[in-house]
Amino acid sequence: MKKEEYKNQEYKYGFTTEIENFKAPKGLSETTIRFISKVKKEPKWMLDWRLKAFNRLKVLKEPNWQKPKYPKINYQDLYYYSAPKSMKDKPKSLDEVDPKLIETYSKLGIPLNEQKRLSGVAVDAVFDSVSVATTFKGELDKKGIIFCPISEAIQKHPDLVKKYLGSVIPISDHYFATLNSAVFTDGSFVYIPPNTRCPMELSTYFRINASETGQFERTLIIADKGSYVSYLEGCTAPMRDENQLHAANVELVALDDAEIKYSTVQNWYPGDKDGVGGIYNFVTKRGACRGRNSKISWTQVETGSAITWKYPSCILQGDNSVGEFYSIAITNNHQKADTGTKMIHLGKNTKSKIISKGISAGQADNTYRGLVDIGAKAKNSRNYTQCDSLLMGNKCGAHTVPYIKNKNSSSTIEHEATTSKINEDQLFYCNQRGLNQEEAVSLIVNGFCKEVLQQLPMEFAVEAQKLVSISLEGSVG
Amino acid sequence: MEQLFNIDFKKINSSNDKEAVDRKKNFELFLKGGLPNKKNENWKFSDLNYIISKNFKNITNNDDYKFNEKIESIHDFDHNKVIIVNGSLKSYDLHFEEKEKVKIETLKSLEGFHHQSKNNLDYLNKALSIGGFNLEVQQNYKCKKPIIIYNYFSANLNNKIINNSNKIKVSQNSELTLIEYNICEKSKFFKNTFEKINIDKGGVLKNIILQKTKCNGYFYKNISGTQNYNSSYQNFILSSGLKFNKIEIDMILEKEKSSCHILSGLNLSKEEHQEIKTQINHLAPNCKSYQKIKNVLENDSKGVYQGKIFVKDIAQKTDAYQLSKALILNDQAEFNAKPELEIYADDVKCSHGSSSGSIDEEAIHYLMTRGIKLSAAKKLLIKGFLNEIFDNIPEEKIKNFLEKSVAVQIDEIR
Repeated sequence: MKKEEYKNQEYKYGFTTEIENFKAPKGLSETTIRFISKVKKEPKWMLDWRLKAFNRLKVLKEPNWQKPKYPKINYQDLYYYSAPKSMKDKPKSLDEVDPKLIETYSKLGIPLNEQKRLSGVAVDAVFDSVSVATTFKGELDKKGIIFCPISEAIQKHPDLVKKYLGSVIPISDHYFATLNSAVFTDGSFVYIPPNTRCPMELSTYFRINASETGQFERTLIIADKGSYVSYLEGCTAPMRDENQLHAANVELVALDDAEIKYSTVQNWYPGDKDGVGGIYNFVTKRGACRGRNSKISWTQVETGSAITWKYPSCILQGDNSVGEFYSIAITNNHQKADTGTKMIHLGKNTKSKIISKGISAGQADNTYRGLVDIGAKAKNSRNYTQCDSLLMGNKCGAHTVPYIKNKNSSSTIEHEATTSKINEDQLFYCNQRGLNQEEAVSLIVNGFCKEVLQQLPMEFAVEAQKLVSISLEGSVG
Repeated sequence: MEQLFNIDFKKINSSNDKEAVDRKKNFELFLKGGLPNKKNENWKFSDLNYIISKNFKNITNNDDYKFNEKIESIHDFDHNKVIIVNGSLKSYDLHFEEKEKVKIETLKSLEGFHHQSKNNLDYLNKALSIGGFNLEVQQNYKCKKPIIIYNYFSANLNNKIINNSNKIKVSQNSELTLIEYNICEKSKFFKNTFEKINIDKGGVLKNIILQKTKCNGYFYKNISGTQNYNSSYQNFILSSGLKFNKIEIDMILEKEKSSCHILSGLNLSKEEHQEIKTQINHLAPNCKSYQKIKNVLENDSKGVYQGKIFVKDIAQKTDAYQLSKALILNDQAEFNAKPELEIYADDVKCSHGSSSGSIDEEAIHYLMTRGIKLSAAKKLLIKGFLNEIFDNIPEEKIKNFLEKSVAVQIDEIR
């Protein structure tokens, strides 16, 4: 295969929106935290919780075991809160929302406007630090489903938030999770009441717009007994030549017989072809299968970000609970990804499945890092892991670092990993039938990723498939 | 750490003053860092500091190399003999080989002993090493018979530490089969060995490590080597029966067409902890590496496998494979694995697989319906599981001998 100069694929979502912003004073301090808490009109317990996290943060050190290294982040040079000015007094309905914001979201293809209800997805859009609008509220209310910005939940449903916030990711967990606990600004809150099947996909759209800001959102999803919810998450950011930090926390709690399906299509700005700019995506995602027969399924398509560093995990506490992780991580140019999952089996008869597909092109580095830990009491548990890597060119790297722990005799762990390049024969076959090189690669890569793509909800699957092709455009010559 | 180690430097011979000073320096460096513990990524699953501190209260160095007993030789096949007592070369008999073609002597100096993987045990070894052997096979000479190293450890080694270092050089187009046969009396001691291997163009080294009987030893062995064009290194590890055993292998495939095989079949029982850690560095194109690690874990034993395949960007057409399998027979037993790949070249075939679980119930059922008792059926399956390792040994007699020694271990399983 002839290797050409790597072209840079235009980042479609790289525009910025000129909106007046209302920001917190620069830097990380108690004042900033008090400011955020005040703006959000939070009760005292929430402020105390944040301050507790902040105190813990002072002791913690930034982890440095990861494969992608990055220049030291100056936490004092960031804005921790940025909101469109028009949001200061929250609009009551969509009509009052700044038309520019609506325009931004329609550029992104987000059906914010309720007129587009045909698409049937309830959306909560987070712009920089605040939640802009949540659609389909009425319909969800009827079923007793709570889907709102977390800042609203703190005020309206303090009992639920108090009970579950930090119960999966404790405030002292690790550096970035603790940072998030101290300064998180907004995010989504979902509560599905017992024996309810959420009638539509819930979706949050995250966008970082302002410069020199970090985005710290927090998502909390609780599926009560016998309920089901499918949640989608999408992310974009403007093209800027600075690195922006995104440190989100996502907590999922599934009680008896409940199921949560969490899908992410992450397309933060990856930086330009020389690796300038881009988002540092340092996210902590963790789900707890608390109840018997509960299930949590993570699906992620990671195509953006300069550095992706995240491990959506499942803690399988309840007997017969199931954890799943499906991932596609595509890195091109100078992008770096260190991603994978943790499956911690504690209950009896727990099952987990990991399918990870990593694709590297350009000078990118792609690492799968995962843990499967079957405890001594997790009798008759099973895990199956498959991680495949595809390399395009010899300037990129693909790495696999699985940790496998088995502590009882009735459980089985199976792990398989392969690394290869695109099969020349397959390419030749496609070329012969009139597909050009790029189309052929796209077809083969989509086939390689199929197992994961088919896990995505319909709305996302089509988009994700296109994204996979676009992300690799120009990577083969 | 200082309380645990009670070292008398007078007991160790240094060839010159500089060496004596270096030893003390290295020992201080060791004391500063202490024994590796689980905070160290490479020791994550085997916390040596905890294991040694728990089992030893006061460790002294050994200066007794007396040897008056007769070692019971292996009669299954003809072989050359090298006798090592408490880590020090005692005598050898290489009468099957041509004169001057195979040389063995006591290793005199640690110069040129730069280890590829650094850890604190390296300092400890450099501080207290009593030497070991230096083995060299001359060019174009294929050894006629294998060499067996009878590694004897006497009964008076309680709470002692043995540090030694060996060098093995296989010159151009030469061949050697080296069997390390550990024989221990019932004493509890700690052994720390560093071994340097150099295989030149077209050289072949087969290295088999096994244990005669169960023993209370705590062993650490670090093997680091380099391989030249078209060379081959094959390592078979069958050394179960130690309280603690960690074998760390770091091979560099420097030139094209070299190949490295690491095969291990271990049967661990009560209070045994064994770790195999490998790093195979593919630095040149067209090299091959193959690793197969099999563990049978009984009682409260702990088996660990940490393997890494590194492929440099120019090492195209690499074929690397890693497989680790564990049979867990008891709920107290534990198996941990970290099979790692780090790949920078695209036209490669690299894969790994790892599985752990209990014995296949259906296979047991099948055997029992044919009139075989449960315990016998189990043993049969375990035997089959472990014996796969020997498929790569062409010499029938050696193979039979190894199979026999594994069978003895399996018979102990209840």
